[in-house]
Amino acid sequence: MGRFGFVLRRLLLTIPLLLGIVLLVFLVLKITPGDPARQIVGLRATTQQLDQVRQQLGLNDPVLVQYLRYLGHVLHGDLGYSYKSLQPVSDMIAERLPVTLWLLTFGTTFTLLISIPLGTITALQPNRPIDHAVRGAGLVALTMPSFWVGIVLILLVALPTGLFPAGGFGDTFPDHVRSIILPAITLAISIAPFQIRSMRTSMINVRRSDYVATGRSMGLSEPRLMRRFVLRNAAPPTISVLALNVGYLLFGAVVIETTFALPGVGEGIVLAARGRDIPAIQGYTLLFALLVVAVYLIADIVTAVMDPRVEIAS
Amino acid sequence: MSLADDLTTQSGESSTEHTFATERTRLPKRVWVGVAIVGVYVLVAVFAPVLAPYDPLAQHLLDALANPSSAHWLGTDELGRDVFSRLIFAFRVDLPVGVLGAVLPAIVGTALGAIAGYFGGWADALVMRTADVFQAFPTYILIIALVFALGQGVVSILVAFTLVAWVAYARLIRGEILRIRGLDYVQAARAAGLPSRRILGLHVLPNGIGQTLVYLPSDIVLATLGLAALSFLGLGIPLPTPEWGAMIAAGQPFIRDQWWLSTVPGLVVVGFGLGLSLIGEGVEEWTQR
Repeated sequence: MGRFGFVLRRLLLTIPLLLGIVLLVFLVLKITPGDPARQIVGLRATTQQLDQVRQQLGLNDPVLVQYLRYLGHVLHGDLGYSYKSLQPVSDMIAERLPVTLWLLTFGTTFTLLISIPLGTITALQPNRPIDHAVRGAGLVALTMPSFWVGIVLILLVALPTGLFPAGGFGDTFPDHVRSIILPAITLAISIAPFQIRSMRTSMINVRRSDYVATGRSMGLSEPRLMRRFVLRNAAPPTISVLALNVGYLLFGAVVIETTFALPGVGEGIVLAARGRDIPAIQGYTLLFALLVVAVYLIADIVTAVMDPRVEIAS
Repeated sequence: MSLADDLTTQSGESSTEHTFATERTRLPKRVWVGVAIVGVYVLVAVFAPVLAPYDPLAQHLLDALANPSSAHWLGTDELGRDVFSRLIFAFRVDLPVGVLGAVLPAIVGTALGAIAGYFGGWADALVMRTADVFQAFPTYILIIALVFALGQGVVSILVAFTLVAWVAYARLIRGEILRIRGLDYVQAARAAGLPSRRILGLHVLPNGIGQTLVYLPSDIVLATLGLAALSFLGLGIPLPTPEWGAMIAAGQPFIRDQWWLSTVPGLVVVGFGLGLSLIGEGVEEWTQR
């Protein structure tokens, strides 16, 4: 079975997982107290009106029927209508998702810009002063709430310099870039310590391996050894760790979008939860779970392409 | 090689092993620094009513957003409440909820993982397949959805943390138990006719739980940060109960002029996290020696 077979099998394995995810989202919101029909018609409606809405929403059907209907709607991209704005939830997501993708793209880029050099330096000089300094800084960074880091950046950078807005996303492309820089740095500060640590470990392991020693004894220069063997072999575990952190990254996006008033899906789920908007929170939760599944999938495939041994192991 | 040679190398080895052993038994210094920091936090939480100069909920609207002074060390918030008193009383929310937010999932996960690992079969399948579905979700997104469903408050937060976070502990202890189950002393206990409840509780679990305990301090940091983040978003501890994350959120609109309202509670969070991280890192290093 070749690489194609591995990718295909990996794709098929996600199907039962997706069904489980939809079921869990459905059940979590099913146990939510409060009558959705009552929320729509208001407190003054008559029992008759209430019953009519319940019938329309299908709330009188057995739970299994409701789940299958929900699953059918989800498969057609229909996530229902927001109780608050009465907009289709899929439209709300479509409007907000680009902002979050901006944040995630810039945030991941900054994370790599911080963690690749620092991971390399600490791996090259383990237990030296620079290593201790980076690890100490990482320890502190991991205890800082990301929203607090964001507020401190607003206080110390945005307000005094005026280069970056303290919140919002702006209307033009340059505005977007200016508004995304500080949130992306905040996100990078909360993720980079994990990345640096895993990069350091995997690079130290690769540098100790026999084939690097062989390369060195054959007279390959250190920079060439580094590029050709060490970085290439240290990359797959680093990508896996970045992918494993995606759940943490997405929660970071939720918190940071709220801190900087960025109109992304992260702020969306918070507003939906505050407004007790059940269809919206259902849609956003599903979206976040799908993003995680997609990232795991992509990471597995990229790792398989970079490291041919993966298909043998699977 | 002569016998004499053999003896000298052996004695040489045992002397290095001896110094190594004394070093091993001693915990690194930073563990004690961490214990001291966490100890101070616990004392502040216990003695909050004595330490706080004012009622943390008492509003004085005429005295709102006052600057720090000898009367109000950290000024007052937008409702004229004493910020220092609120900060002190918040210790009584963040500390217990943060600790329980890590300890409860650890207990539930260890119990389920131990049962799955020791008995195997359908118990194992049931526990581990449930774990798979929970693990597909981004942890805190699921926590937001669960707290939304259960209603805000300490109990729902702890239930949500436990439902979502037990998975990692279950996997950890299951792996350990699969390893220990086959060891001679467990076989001996089984041959001696001890009931499985006793073997599991007295002979297997105590030997497999080390890893879980080593990770516990850093998990308390994560739970505390998670609680603060939920409350910052307005989805955690309901107002007006003082809580660090909620205080940071409440101060954000006034960041330009009353910058201490948001920044000081954050420093308090960092201090608690650092104390626990020093303990966690130090103990981890100690066990790896």
